[in-house]
Amino acid sequence: MQEDLIHILLADDDEDDRLLFRDAFEEIRLKTKVDTVNDGVELMAYLNRKEIILPHILFLDLNMPRKNGMECLSEIRRLDHLKDIAVAIYSTSASADDIEDTFVKGANVYIKKPSDFAKLREILQHVVSINWQYHTSGLNRDNFILSL
Amino acid sequence: MRQKFSYASSFLLKSIFVASLFVLIFISGVSYNHTVALTESSELVVHSYEVHLELDQLFSYVKDAEIGHHSFVISGDSVFLQPFDEARDKISKSFIKLIKLAADKKQQQANLDSLYELISLRLGQMANSFTHKAGTRMDQIQIDREMLWGRDVMNSIRTQINSMIALEAQYLNTQQQKYKYETLFTPLITLMLLIFSLTVFSFSYYRISNDLENLRETNKELMISTESIKHAEKIGEFSTWQWELETGKLVYSDNQYQLLGCQPQSFEPSLEKYLEFVHPDDRHIFTVGNDPEKINKDTSVAFYRIIRKDGQTRFFKSIGKLLKDSKGKRIMIGINCDVTDQHLSSIALEERNRELEQSNKELASFNHIASHDLQEPLRKVQTFISRILENDSDHFTESGKESFSKIQSAVGRMRMLIDDLLLFSRANKAEKIFQKSDLNQLLENAKAELAQRIEEKNAIINSTSLPELQVIPFQIQQLFINLIENSLKYSRPDVQIRIDISCEKTNLQNHPVFKSINNKQFYKITVSDNGLGFEQQYADSLFVLFYRLHPPNEYPGTGIGLAICKKIVENHSGFIEAKGQPGKGSSFMIYLPE
Repeated sequence: MQEDLIHILLADDDEDDRLLFRDAFEEIRLKTKVDTVNDGVELMAYLNRKEIILPHILFLDLNMPRKNGMECLSEIRRLDHLKDIAVAIYSTSASADDIEDTFVKGANVYIKKPSDFAKLREILQHVVSINWQYHTSGLNRDNFILSL
Repeated sequence: MRQKFSYASSFLLKSIFVASLFVLIFISGVSYNHTVALTESSELVVHSYEVHLELDQLFSYVKDAEIGHHSFVISGDSVFLQPFDEARDKISKSFIKLIKLAADKKQQQANLDSLYELISLRLGQMANSFTHKAGTRMDQIQIDREMLWGRDVMNSIRTQINSMIALEAQYLNTQQQKYKYETLFTPLITLMLLIFSLTVFSFSYYRISNDLENLRETNKELMISTESIKHAEKIGEFSTWQWELETGKLVYSDNQYQLLGCQPQSFEPSLEKYLEFVHPDDRHIFTVGNDPEKINKDTSVAFYRIIRKDGQTRFFKSIGKLLKDSKGKRIMIGINCDVTDQHLSSIALEERNRELEQSNKELASFNHIASHDLQEPLRKVQTFISRILENDSDHFTESGKESFSKIQSAVGRMRMLIDDLLLFSRANKAEKIFQKSDLNQLLENAKAELAQRIEEKNAIINSTSLPELQVIPFQIQQLFINLIENSLKYSRPDVQIRIDISCEKTNLQNHPVFKSINNKQFYKITVSDNGLGFEQQYADSLFVLFYRLHPPNEYPGTGIGLAICKKIVENHSGFIEAKGQPGKGSSFMIYLPE
């Protein structure tokens, strides 16, 4: 039973976004376990705990207090036990600089937070159903930004 | 050129004067000789006449004696002895005179000796006859004999005197001939030399007056240039100075004093005196840099402050240049400029630059707010609206549904505005990295981005070949997107949309508004459609930010798209213009420099 669950972790400082994120997953008919942390410092503390099972997919907001998403991404890709986690950037902005930076730093996909709940559901469902092994090997700048 | 000429002229004049001096000395010599000759000649004539006269005199004395003798002989009266004695004295005196006159002529002396003998003989004869018969009359025979003798001797005396006169005349003649020959060429030579001298002097006069004229001209030019330098110094607020490093002697132009707030030449210039005017904090510039022994640099520049006599602080810039004169002495020449105005305005400019940078930073942070912080609540509003509509719209009343859909469209429009504003500000400030790009490729990218809408509208887009240009690729792509989007949006509902994109070269020479500098070549890219078009009078307003020709409920839009286009084209040093015909279509012309 436990093995079938897809572990999902969201790091976002915005309470409403965390709520919408959870709601969306509840409506998706997939066995997922969603955890959330409130900022970058909390995220790194969580990931470095011994007893937890590492998430399959990490959704990472960029704009967070204390430690922002960009710093977390760099740290995750540096650490041996974390570097294989699939990281989906989950941000309001889609500035060319942010996209370029996160791509270079090794994020797997870039999601611009949609302004429609149905669309959000759709995107999250898509992300979860991606075969990450395959996706990562063929990653390039063109399919980095997720648009449906 | 002129200077060279003057030098040549002065050399020429010197030569002329030396030559003239020699000529004059020569003429003087010749004239002196001539005069001496003339004097000698006239003396000779006088001498000759004196001799002649004296001889005549002598002969007449002899005759006087003769007459006295005759009378005595005939009458035997001793009264007649008295004239005879008188004549004898005179004859002696006359002889003494003649001997003096004939001192330098041997032949004449000899003649004189013979004459003396003859006269002595005659006088002896006469004396004899007196002693013979004093108081008694001679008989006829005695008288005849006395007379006969007398006649013979007298004849000899006459002949002797005549030959002497002739000899004297001959002397005179010979000497006259000699002088005549000697002085024959003198007047001619003198005349020729005189003419030569006159010519030389006239020529010299001509040259000198010419030179004087030139000098006057040059003087005038010099005066004008001096005046204009003075004028320039005043207007340009600068002054000139010369500084002899060995002696420390300084020379200032008048304006130097005025720059210091003093009367021209009101003090003796010196480094020490100048330092008194320099701001105390800036004096080290001079004490370190101006030790005459250590100045080696060809040019030196200094910035410092001056406190003028009236207490005003001014900013000065000095530029000096080191020169060596012909004797190897080092001279520094230079100018001092009052750069207060420039300095203050550059400070003001820096200040304004700082303000501008500050406001740019604020603008950038505003962009960030617009892109992130404003979008975030808006996105949430939209997301929650979408959730409510999905889950709860069944419970709404009709009017509630209507209000809700209006809320939704208003929020959508607000989002569009924010997105477009962001695009506009990005076109404004994004780093301008120019790359050689194929415009055909950028157009294809633009079409790919709009593929869905092109398909929806069933539009036909034709394009001719576009050039490769040095551009900011993403901006030109945005330009194509905005223009095509514009054509898609403002189309006529019942007409198939056609968009034509073409390109040609032009130099904008005959363009009424845009004027290219130095005949630069431009690519004119035209994007035209068969849509709604517009009244030509609105053509320029189209590119103004937020300007709209249509109400938003008819044609959704923000009035930013074309403003972005204009910005992009300006970023590329190009121009954009629009032409429209209502109900027929519109064309947008982009001019990009080659």
